[in-house]
Amino acid sequence: MFERPDDVVARVIQHLRRPVAIDPGLDARVLREIAQAPPTNRRGWPLWSALAAAAVLGAILIARPWSRDETNRSDLLQFVFVAPQAASVSLVGDFNDWDPARSPMQTAQGVWATAVRLAPGRYRYAFLVNGVDWRADPGAPTARDDEFGTASSVVTVGGRGS
Amino acid sequence: MGIERVESSDAELVRRVRAGDIGAYGALVSRYRDRLGRYAVHMIGDHEDAEEALQDSFVRAYRSLARCYDPARFGAWLYGIMVNRYRTTGARAARRHRIFVRDADALNGAAHGDQADRVEWTDAIERALARLAPEYREAFLLKHVEDLEYEAIAELTGAGVSALKMRVKRAREQLQLYLREAEHV
Repeated sequence: MFERPDDVVARVIQHLRRPVAIDPGLDARVLREIAQAPPTNRRGWPLWSALAAAAVLGAILIARPWSRDETNRSDLLQFVFVAPQAASVSLVGDFNDWDPARSPMQTAQGVWATAVRLAPGRYRYAFLVNGVDWRADPGAPTARDDEFGTASSVVTVGGRGS
Repeated sequence: MGIERVESSDAELVRRVRAGDIGAYGALVSRYRDRLGRYAVHMIGDHEDAEEALQDSFVRAYRSLARCYDPARFGAWLYGIMVNRYRTTGARAARRHRIFVRDADALNGAAHGDQADRVEWTDAIERALARLAPEYREAFLLKHVEDLEYEAIAELTGAGVSALKMRVKRAREQLQLYLREAEHV
């Protein structure tokens, strides 16, 4: 017995609307590619001059609250860490119990990225490079109350600033 | 560098990108990657090609950001880049054939019952979509899967609203036909 034509199409639409898995490393690849050929602003300075300068130091972090989910008031934060020599990088923080297995970062030619959704609040975080090397964000506020004896950084979500 | 509180609107993020903030562009990529990726996968068929097209579209959008005259509608503008990207590179029929070989293997490897049915249904839909003319598939996906208004689709594609409605209608009819045929294979 056939379904009504509209039912068939409705099932097709429902099927096609399901999320499609996209490689999480795509974000990092895009950022890497655009950073390699930066446009110039009106004054002719490369827009990525600050980024390039920081890259010389070997590691860059860009962490930004990305998108506000109005349903649960959380922010999606994308963390990008440039470490061309690293074999692995994990994002660790008090939001994931400092567990490197919970937020491994994906790489594309040395640019590491991962996204984490966080509810409003103040969080400490760092990057664990090669499983042993603890790195704070050089451009973010440093946590003063770090009980681990290593540097970490602070991000505030949903507040007035960091 | 450092961390700032970021407003979540597309317009604000575009403004920050234009000011040189790579993180803000990362935010836009994150926001649209899944939706645009879904469209690319269904439109192109091959997952690897779709991700390549997606990445390329994001890069093109970044390099052309000065031409995004209404930053509040960045998402629609981005869809337009993807639509045009597909048209310029064309359908890759040969690669679509390879997908079906792979899916047939998956079907053979599927255990029993529901799992095999799901694989078969997915395969049938992919085959039916692939048989649609590109302009029919494009209109159907943008209207029914991406949930865009006809006026928005007309802006993206350059086709008139009445032509788009006809394409969507034909796409629906053909999908029904192809899927019914698949039931008898």
